[in-house]
Amino acid sequence: MRAGCWIVALGLAAAVSACTQAPPPADVFTPAHSSTASAVQDFFLIRPAATQPIPFPHKTHVEKAMLKCTETCHESVVKGPNAGIPSVKTCMICHDSIATDRPLIMKITNDYYKKGIDLPWQRVYGFTPEVHVRFNHAPHIRASVDCATCHGDIAHQTVAERNVNHTMGFCVDCHKAKKASNDCLTCHF
Amino acid sequence: MSMDRRSFIKLTAVTGGATAIAACTTSNPENQLIRFVPDEDLTPGIAEIKNGVCPICRAGCGTTVRVMQGDAEVIRNGQHGVMTMSLAKKLEGNPSHPISQGALCPRGQASIQATYHPDRLIQPLKRRGARGSGDYQPITWDAAIAELVTQLDNIAGSGPQGLAVLTRPGASSRHDLFALFLEKFGAQAPIAYELFGDDVLRRASAISFGREQVPTFDFANARAVISFGADFLGTWGSPVSQMAGYAKMRGGRPGIRGTLIQVEPRMSLTGASADEWVAIKPGTEAVLAFGLANALGAKGLAQYTPAEVEKQTGVKAARVERLAAMLAEMKPAVAIIAGAPLAQVNGLSQALAVNVLNTTLGAIGAPGGLSFTPYVAPKRGARSLQTLASDVLSGKGTPVQALLIDGANPVHSTPPGWKVKDALAKIPFIASFGSFADDTSVMADLILPDHSALESWTDSRPESGTTKAIVSVAGPAMKPLHDTRATSDVLLDVAKKLKKPLAGMPDSFDAMLQASVGGDEPWGIATKQGWVEVKSGTRDSGLGTRSGSPEPRGASKPLPFTAAFDGEPGQYPFYFLPFSSQAFLDGSTAHLPWLQEMPDPMSTAMWSTWVEINPQTASKLGIGDADMVEIASAHGSIHAPALISPGIAPDVIAMPTGQGHETFTRYASGRGSNPVKVLAPVVEPETGALAWAATRVKVTRIGEPKGELIRYGGALREFEHHRG
Repeated sequence: MRAGCWIVALGLAAAVSACTQAPPPADVFTPAHSSTASAVQDFFLIRPAATQPIPFPHKTHVEKAMLKCTETCHESVVKGPNAGIPSVKTCMICHDSIATDRPLIMKITNDYYKKGIDLPWQRVYGFTPEVHVRFNHAPHIRASVDCATCHGDIAHQTVAERNVNHTMGFCVDCHKAKKASNDCLTCHF
Repeated sequence: MSMDRRSFIKLTAVTGGATAIAACTTSNPENQLIRFVPDEDLTPGIAEIKNGVCPICRAGCGTTVRVMQGDAEVIRNGQHGVMTMSLAKKLEGNPSHPISQGALCPRGQASIQATYHPDRLIQPLKRRGARGSGDYQPITWDAAIAELVTQLDNIAGSGPQGLAVLTRPGASSRHDLFALFLEKFGAQAPIAYELFGDDVLRRASAISFGREQVPTFDFANARAVISFGADFLGTWGSPVSQMAGYAKMRGGRPGIRGTLIQVEPRMSLTGASADEWVAIKPGTEAVLAFGLANALGAKGLAQYTPAEVEKQTGVKAARVERLAAMLAEMKPAVAIIAGAPLAQVNGLSQALAVNVLNTTLGAIGAPGGLSFTPYVAPKRGARSLQTLASDVLSGKGTPVQALLIDGANPVHSTPPGWKVKDALAKIPFIASFGSFADDTSVMADLILPDHSALESWTDSRPESGTTKAIVSVAGPAMKPLHDTRATSDVLLDVAKKLKKPLAGMPDSFDAMLQASVGGDEPWGIATKQGWVEVKSGTRDSGLGTRSGSPEPRGASKPLPFTAAFDGEPGQYPFYFLPFSSQAFLDGSTAHLPWLQEMPDPMSTAMWSTWVEINPQTASKLGIGDADMVEIASAHGSIHAPALISPGIAPDVIAMPTGQGHETFTRYASGRGSNPVKVLAPVVEPETGALAWAATRVKVTRIGEPKGELIRYGGALREFEHHRG
């Protein structure tokens, strides 16, 4: 138990120092973590939770408006390696005329779109540069993997959350089950 | 629930840790800047390949630009933020382009850094402090253009001849637009200055062959090439196309391997590739050329016997005979002259002597020889930079009231004797269009920064490097990152806003470009492939008919045949040879960090300047490797570390150009020293070109190594081995 206490205390110290430590100067390039604490956090899969500018209801758009993930908002996923996050311009394709009286729509129209400022969406998924993973959506789209396999039941949620932890084990299990390549260079290149 | 002390501490630690982590997570670094709505619809992760034109030198290579979606930090409406936009990521050679043929030199590759440079000028600036202090205040484009218009209106009233434009040599629509602007304004055509200009070579071609132009060499079909000082594989002419031709000459024909003989006192990159390196006495190249021509049967050159050549040039008579026999046997053969042999008082005579040798070899207009690309030269004023400076200082002629600077940096690349900086200080108004504050533009009162080459329409009419008449053209590969404006648009705007608007200017720069390639159909081809062949009719395609003759015709006064050097040989015992840096050329690319960190291919030196000294000379003077030495001429002195090199004649001291900027971004300011600052203000008399290889110097050891010589590799292995 005593050893456990030490680990917890170390973890605490590390977590605290992560906050107090100044970020490394931007002109110094380093492929490693910016601090020991960030390495520890990364190891324990502790990552900053995304804070979104508005509580975007995925559910309303999928269930009520009957939009398909890959057709309107994340259409880049069928064209290239990345799904992309839509800009406020995409919102305004419909919300120029639909539900214009709702407070949130008025907020994105007046506070963002009309000022030429984009919604500061934060990424929910993604790999840190330190793990050296280059993920490409294209082969997964070609293999007709359902979005929910990796992103969970996001279609019936409000704000996007990290429903699935993309650990190496998660990827490898699925690759094994589907008989996809498990060569290191498939993902790490 | 009961809790003992230990559990309480544990719990506190865990919750405390969680709180601390949660506190961190609220500041996700991904979104600390506001994000602007993107202008373009982009698919992330998909690259697009666009065409480009390399902006670095006059060769006019066509490039490909890999463009991908990315985030750029920009300022929009005074707000600092991030914007998702198409960004240029990588430059390569355009495979379809007749000059670059899919390749690009390191300077061209690095030119992408000019766009993303941290010290780029991102908005118009007006001088606030003293000239040269670099103290500027940002102003709006409207205010900047109004200021320029007011200044030009004043000159238009008092005498339009008071306007001058200083630019770099090269032919393009941008140059044509400046020339047109000046013509309509009533001023003289632009003055072009570059340290390593080819004016002497052009004049020699005009005298011998009727074409005032740099020739194109057919290396691919040559069997022997004798090069007098031309670093054609490194820095001179059209290096990418010449390298491609040279590769074919060496290994592109089964069973035939072409031979290269390099005649120069300091081994250049080209010299290092040659089969034979002839370390000739500087300024006597013409004698060797005549000696070879005589041995090959040219008439009227009987006095140039091998023995006489040996006496004057230091090249052994037997070697002269052997080289002549080799050239006679290995047909087709061609001779090239460029660089230091032309930067002499007798430079024109030397070029004419090589023209005679080429005529004797039958190389004119023949396969494996030299020819001239159909070409329209840009309009140039009769006034040279040197006369402009001396007129300003002496108050002779029409006083220059305003000077517009487009890309030239003469404060860095002229000898102190020309007093260019003093002259600039006396000109009442200077405006610069450059993207960086350099030694010259820091003297400007108004800076109107141009887009980078990747952000604007660019074109180039190559003077040599291909046998076809082509124009390289490219549209913007990406949108402008900053609040800059295309200089061509600024000129057209100013022309309209003057009190007496200039008539006869094109509607837009695009329209001008379109007209320059000859209409809609060639324009379609040009925008698709990045270049287009211009049909004869739009341009002079006639080839020169006159042949080289030992008696130069057309020269206005008798030409000196013997080289003369500034400095008493007793006091200044060494020939001083500045050479074009592989990374920086004359210094115009010293602000690009990739080029600063690129090891020089001969010495592996980087981030520095050095002085190449022969080992014998160094041991006589007590100079060790990397010791600090002083190079002094009658005109100035500089300090630099010594680099002991066997690839240089004992009586020659060589130094790369390009460093020693007083002002040129964080990467080049105050780095190394500038060899031009010890040069004598000597010119080739016929063309007025600076004779930059005609100065004598003395060398003194001044101290221990100071860590200024930074080398990627150690000493020269071959040399160490040779020394035992």
